[in-house]
Order: sequence, then C-alpha cells, then structure tokens
Amino acid sequence: MLVEKVASLSNERNSRLAKATGSITNDVLNVETLRAFEKIKSEDGSDFVIELIDLFLEGTPQRIQAIREAAFEKEWGLLKHIAHTIKGSSSTLGLHRVAQVCRELEATSLSSSDAVGGLVRALESRFVEAREALMAERKRRLQ
Amino acid sequence: MSGFQIRFKEPTPNRVLIADDDPVMTHMLATILKQQQCEAVVANDGREAYRILQSDSRFRAAILDMSMPFLEGLDIIHYMRSERRLRRIPIMMITAEQNIKLMTNSFSAGATAFLPKPFTPEQLESAVRLLIGSQNRRRGN
Repeated sequence: MLVEKVASLSNERNSRLAKATGSITNDVLNVETLRAFEKIKSEDGSDFVIELIDLFLEGTPQRIQAIREAAFEKEWGLLKHIAHTIKGSSSTLGLHRVAQVCRELEATSLSSSDAVGGLVRALESRFVEAREALMAERKRRLQ
Repeated sequence: MSGFQIRFKEPTPNRVLIADDDPVMTHMLATILKQQQCEAVVANDGREAYRILQSDSRFRAAILDMSMPFLEGLDIIHYMRSERRLRRIPIMMITAEQNIKLMTNSFSAGATAFLPKPFTPEQLESAVRLLIGSQNRRRGN
C-alpha cells in the first residue's frame, strides 16, 4: 500500500518534471534562452548555466520576501525597485512569466493594496513554477 | 642639465568596474570579462561604486546598471564625467527598462554604450568586447 503510494507520488513528480522541461517549458521557462548561455565558459570549467540557475534560485526568494515586506509597509519605491531587479534576471534567463508579473508590479499604480497583494501572490506562484522548471533543467544537465 | 623628461604612457589597465545589485548579472559580466582577460571589480550598488571610484581610477571600462539602490547608474555617470581622472573611462549602461528616453539620457550624460535587458550571450559578449576595445581605439594603441 505504502509502496504504491510512494510510486504514485514519484510518478506524479516525474510527470511534473517532464512537464517542466516539455510542454510547459515555453510558457514558464524558455529553455533555448537559458541554454544559449552554455557558450560562456566558467573559469573553473563548471557548467555556467547551472551557476546562473543556482544564483537565481538563491537570491530570488529573499527578494520576493522583501517585496512582500515592502508591500506591507507600503514602500512602493522599494517594491518597484526589487521587482525591476527580478525582471532583469528572469527575462534574461528565459523566465517570461516571472518577468511578466514583475513588469505588472512595476506598472501598477500601487494605490490599491488588493491589486498589489494579488500581484505579489502571483509572483510567488510564478516563482514556484520557475523553480520547478529550473530544477528540472539543472537535473538534466547533471545527468 | 636640461629639463627634458621622458614620460612613458601608462599601460591600459585590465580592470573593469561592474556596478549591479543583481548577482546573476554580476556573475555573467565577470565571467565574460575574465574570458576577455579582464579583471572584474564588483560593486553591489551605486554607493559602493561611487566609493570605489573616489579612490581608484585605474579602470579600462565601467559597466553600470541603470537602477541600483542608493545611487543610480546615471548618477555615477554624471560623477565620472565630472572628474578629470575618470572622464576617459568608457561606460556601458545596462537596464531592464524599455524606455527609449533612458537610452538618450545615458548617452547625453556620457555613456559610451547601452545594452537593454534581456540580452543574449552573443549581444553581451560583443558589447563587452566593443567597450573594452574602445579605450584602446581612443588612445590609438
């Protein structure tokens, strides 16, 4: 029973990973955009794309947390600045959905707390999708 | 003794200042610069870049993000163009803004090159190559 449950979870996870590199790839992550950075060689010979993935995944959760706090404190200038920073790296790495929400956060009038709250939540879920797609690509590169 | 003096031209430094608060960008730029045999000096915000430039002018070029905490890229350009010892350093501005006016403002302030995000590795590499080559061309090396 337990084995079946674990197998089912594993299949579900594998299917999600397959989706991350397959059908949803163009929407969440444009892998061609990301893989184009393969041509840049790291000094120590390690995989440059993995280095970029790791840096993005390391820094972005803190930035999203800072956006959440800025929204709570109504520090709109700071909020827009952080959204702008995430937009730059996410669009360069091919994470268009993350970049799109950041663009909306930058463009919103910020007068409505509900609208900002909705966009911050959208950014959180777009980041979760992006992380899954990036982790799948990372795993693929390590194989 | 005559007052004749020989002054040797200083070699072009191989150091490039990068000012950006995004570690993904600074890592990309630093790696590309190393490929071009240049050393990257990284500032994580505009204030840090300003502090470095106050005491150090031995840079072959500077790559500045437009939007940074404390001091923006444009502020740094204005500072560099107002200081004689920094005036000749070529500057590239990088920005995720889609506003053409920012490009005009950057060139008016004294930027040498402008690279909008997102960019491909080819665009980044050729922009960096042109930038670090521009001081050689100016000096006639």
